[in-house]
Amino acid sequence: MNAFAERLRRRETTLLDGGLGSLLIARGLGGGEAPESWVLSRPDDVRRAHGDYVGAGSDAVHTATFGANAIRLARSSLADRCEALNAEAVRLARESGARFVLADVGPTGEYLPPVGTGDRRSWKEAFVRQGRALAAAAPDALHVETMTDLREALIALEALKESASSLPVMVSLTFERKKRGFFTIMGDALAGSLRSLGEAGADAVGANCTLASADMRLLAEESRAAVGLPLVIQPNAGAPEMQGGAVFYSQAPEAFAEEMARVASLGVELVGGCCGTDPRFIRALARRLHSKESRP
Amino acid sequence: MYREMREAVVQGDAPRARRLAEGVVDADGDLVAAIEQGFAAGIRKVGDLWEEGEYFLPELVQGAEAMKAAMGVLQPALRKSHGGQVSKGRVVIGTVQGDLHDIGKTLVATLLSAGGFEVDDLGSDVSVDRFLARAKENGADIIAASALLTTTMPVQKAIADGIPSLGLAPRPRLLVGGAPTTAAWAAQIGAAWAENALRAVAVAESLANASRRA
Repeated sequence: MNAFAERLRRRETTLLDGGLGSLLIARGLGGGEAPESWVLSRPDDVRRAHGDYVGAGSDAVHTATFGANAIRLARSSLADRCEALNAEAVRLARESGARFVLADVGPTGEYLPPVGTGDRRSWKEAFVRQGRALAAAAPDALHVETMTDLREALIALEALKESASSLPVMVSLTFERKKRGFFTIMGDALAGSLRSLGEAGADAVGANCTLASADMRLLAEESRAAVGLPLVIQPNAGAPEMQGGAVFYSQAPEAFAEEMARVASLGVELVGGCCGTDPRFIRALARRLHSKESRP
Repeated sequence: MYREMREAVVQGDAPRARRLAEGVVDADGDLVAAIEQGFAAGIRKVGDLWEEGEYFLPELVQGAEAMKAAMGVLQPALRKSHGGQVSKGRVVIGTVQGDLHDIGKTLVATLLSAGGFEVDDLGSDVSVDRFLARAKENGADIIAASALLTTTMPVQKAIADGIPSLGLAPRPRLLVGGAPTTAAWAAQIGAAWAENALRAVAVAESLANASRRA
């Protein structure tokens, strides 16, 4: 059992990082550019972005490999660099000085029929290939995230359990708040989805993206009641708004930190941010988590 | 019979929807009523079920496909009986440059064509110039541009800024959508906005009417 698996087992609170894409955009990543392309073309910027989170108090950072499966890489003609890119991304995260490196695994971007023309077998192959490449670079865990279809999440989980069998695998889905509760866009209900992932061998389960911290707190309550596994929760910083041609998220770091400290106090082990959150949000959350720990 | 048509769309049964539409045409029935009271009522019901959180993306897509199957039969028949003038308007649609998300856009395209628009779907990752060139070529009433990323929303503004250069005012009107877009954003760039695929049809209808009146 590696140190991160041990930490999961001990149920220690772990502070994750926030959004990575927005930090790279601030460093000049263009609108149409794939963030993972910077792993090879601008490695120093990627390493520094991780370092900013480490400086803000993140215990663990996610590698810049969200879109680094061969299916998605093919869209930016990088599929043949899949192995090099995943390995290099782990190395950059490691060099940032982060205590733990979580290898990020995002969706293929395809959908199964009738919504799209995706194919389960090619998905599995893509995730096995990415899992192998990541495992060879020795991260501390893998994190499948922003999955909007439980079926794709389960395929990714199965593929990573095969290709990176010695590492813990966490899985986060993306839910919307509907009148009847929290569901993915495909209609997967919260509690049932998290249980399925647990039964399929996930070491931690949870949610990221789309929802802001207030809705995520409700989701966290329902999740905590539904499963005994370690939970991971990473909300967005409110809803995106445009001002003068630039995107900004309306939530202030302190408001985010206040909600997320409450999420942690529900017994959610892994807390961090998604789109719109930056090192200020993580620093604010770190202060709250640490002041809580020091209390008797 | 109209109830059956509604049901075929609500259940996402495209073969049945097509057969029912063929039945109306073969029997020389009321095509407009079949659309309005039958199939279109079905897709409105699908929309209601989606808003209620009973239906999700797969059901929405299947409902739209069933609607499209019926309209594939009814539209040519309508065109024959109305001497070719049945289009509600011409739409050039696509997901903006740098953005590869095309489920929402394709759903809107399907619903618009099911709703009686002539739709030219340019796919995803479409440049501003391509939107504008195709709109000019087609004499489009509407350019519909989808953006699913906050980083690609500015392309919608670039399209809005480029439309006057076509010199076809007041056409084409710009309709924007996509998860991160808002009414405020659309107002800021001078576009119309639809918060989801089903609303897009109603918004497109009012835009087409406005541009025809102008």
